[in-house]
Amino acid sequence: MTDQGEKSAIETLDLKKSYKMGLITVHALRGVNLKIRHGEMISVVGPSGSGKSTLLNMLGALDTPTSGKILIDGFDISLMGERALARFRNRKIGFIFQSYNLIDRSKVTKNVELPAIVADMPKKLRDRRVHELLDLVGLGDKANRRPNALSGGEQQRVAIARALINNPAFILADEPTGNLDSKTGEEIQNLLIRVNQEKNATIVVVTHNLELAERTGRILHLRDGVVEKERVGLLSQGEVRDSGWDVMTEGRS
Amino acid sequence: MTVLDLVGLSFGALKERKLRSGLTVLMVVIGVALMTSINGLGGGMNNYISEQLGTLGANVLIVTPSANTFGPGAQSGLQTKLTPQTVRTIERIHGAKYVIPSFTGGGTLKSGSETKTVSILGMDQSKTLYIAPKVSFESGSFVSSGDSGGIVLGYSIAHPSNLAKPFASIGQAVFVEFSKVENQGGVEKLVTKRKAFQVRGILNELGSQSIDDVAFITLAAANTFFEKGSVYDTIYVITSSPDMNDKVETSITKVYGKNIGVISPKAMASTIQEIMGTFLGFLSAIATVSMFVGAVGIITTLYTSVMERTREIGLLKAIGYTRETVLLMFLAESFTIGLLGGLLGLAFGIAGAYVLIQLLPFGEGAMRVTPSFLPTDLGQVFLLACALSVAAGIYPAWRASTLSPITALKKE
Repeated sequence: MTDQGEKSAIETLDLKKSYKMGLITVHALRGVNLKIRHGEMISVVGPSGSGKSTLLNMLGALDTPTSGKILIDGFDISLMGERALARFRNRKIGFIFQSYNLIDRSKVTKNVELPAIVADMPKKLRDRRVHELLDLVGLGDKANRRPNALSGGEQQRVAIARALINNPAFILADEPTGNLDSKTGEEIQNLLIRVNQEKNATIVVVTHNLELAERTGRILHLRDGVVEKERVGLLSQGEVRDSGWDVMTEGRS
Repeated sequence: MTVLDLVGLSFGALKERKLRSGLTVLMVVIGVALMTSINGLGGGMNNYISEQLGTLGANVLIVTPSANTFGPGAQSGLQTKLTPQTVRTIERIHGAKYVIPSFTGGGTLKSGSETKTVSILGMDQSKTLYIAPKVSFESGSFVSSGDSGGIVLGYSIAHPSNLAKPFASIGQAVFVEFSKVENQGGVEKLVTKRKAFQVRGILNELGSQSIDDVAFITLAAANTFFEKGSVYDTIYVITSSPDMNDKVETSITKVYGKNIGVISPKAMASTIQEIMGTFLGFLSAIATVSMFVGAVGIITTLYTSVMERTREIGLLKAIGYTRETVLLMFLAESFTIGLLGGLLGLAFGIAGAYVLIQLLPFGEGAMRVTPSFLPTDLGQVFLLACALSVAAGIYPAWRASTLSPITALKKE
């Protein structure tokens, strides 16, 4: 984890989001202020409807705030146009979804390289990166399979490889273990922690999985669209790294 | 994103729904094939008419006994008999340089053991070149007016495509047989007349059935053999120049009114081509409609595809695909459908024209029409197919490109 001094990797200032559902106005975020340091791995927890996913979508530039600011590396992303935002998502952010969102007709390799295609990464470099990442997530031998021939855990690994292909500074994961059994979920947790530590990627995980939340550096509790409380997780206390590697190794042996 | 990446992605999407994509391509194929076949047939028929009538000189007028064989003149029996007097009358018209009467008849030509049904034209052969300037001899020469036993054979008679050796050669005797019903003492009886002719000349191939498939004898021989009683079937009028055609035609009509037919082959060709053009234009319109139906098929297929792939589109947008890239991906799919449909359609259309020509009355029979395809026509149809397909893809592609990634990703 590297502290970049005053400038946060991600900072939100009185972030608000409301939208209409029929006649009712839903206030999904009611003024969220948070700072995330470079290389930090934080989790966002809270009951359903607390605004976790909305916050993640805002951070990932998939949605725009009703008011307030999102500063990424000190730059207000609400000033960006649509194209610039698309480019920003492509180069700076890796998304991981609960339901993996893989394209079933395409091979694992094609799925992983999708963000690199639009980033104009040369084909040779793309192929090399795809294979490096598939090795990293432990799927080097399943590169030519189609997603529907893989288990849930394996599919999520493919999604993680896809999120990493453009070497993003930020990984945003929405319930990454939500569809997995506990053992597989733990493997994915370990993989994310490893990515955070090895790649120094700033990771924000939205989760209901308290065990996963505990193992990150900081836990934000969201309730009714505001940060209710915040506490330090095991990762910041240096208690995860070793056990994480152990689990990882066990899982793969 | 390179073009190759784009093609790869769109092809993958089409391949996933093979049957649906295949059927959509088929819709385009049908339209393109129909259009190609019709163009090919139209081209072939135009060529045929030009070949048939183009062999005649530009200053030729054809005078027939009736203005219109289906018209009131023919039905009311008002048609003028073309006699030596008619010839003399026309000869006096200003601008009529030569007036060449002729008899036509059908008969069977026998040479050794081979038999062939032919048209026989009796006329003053020394004037042949005024009517058909391109006529030339493979061997021999025209039959002189006094030689009632001489015959000149068109190329296709002398060299039938179904025989390895020539049907007849110079100097050889051939027999012409002609049957007619005769009233003998109140009883009608079929009588066959037979006469020997000696082959004096064989013509070079001209590409026109009105010369290549005809045997030529003298005017007198035809008059006697076919018992025409000096009533001509056709009179060819050679005007002093093509500019005089209209004047001469008017003068002849002035004398005989509507009871005589005067046709300028050039005018006839353009009239036939005009009528055929209208008919083919109608068929082309149907083909164009079927191409539009194909385009609607593409809209349906792609729109359904956009609906089914909403989550995928959401993902692509989340990972940084711009609105334009998504638009291009879907347009590439519709273009691929157009490209495949266009290419297959051209192939099927060309093959289809050859099949159709066998089924239609002008196939292997009297008219020998070969479909003719102009590269520009083929190119136009192909481009139209591609352009229509891309145009059909615009709406679904636009829908895909404007999907909000969050909404799209939430779709179950």
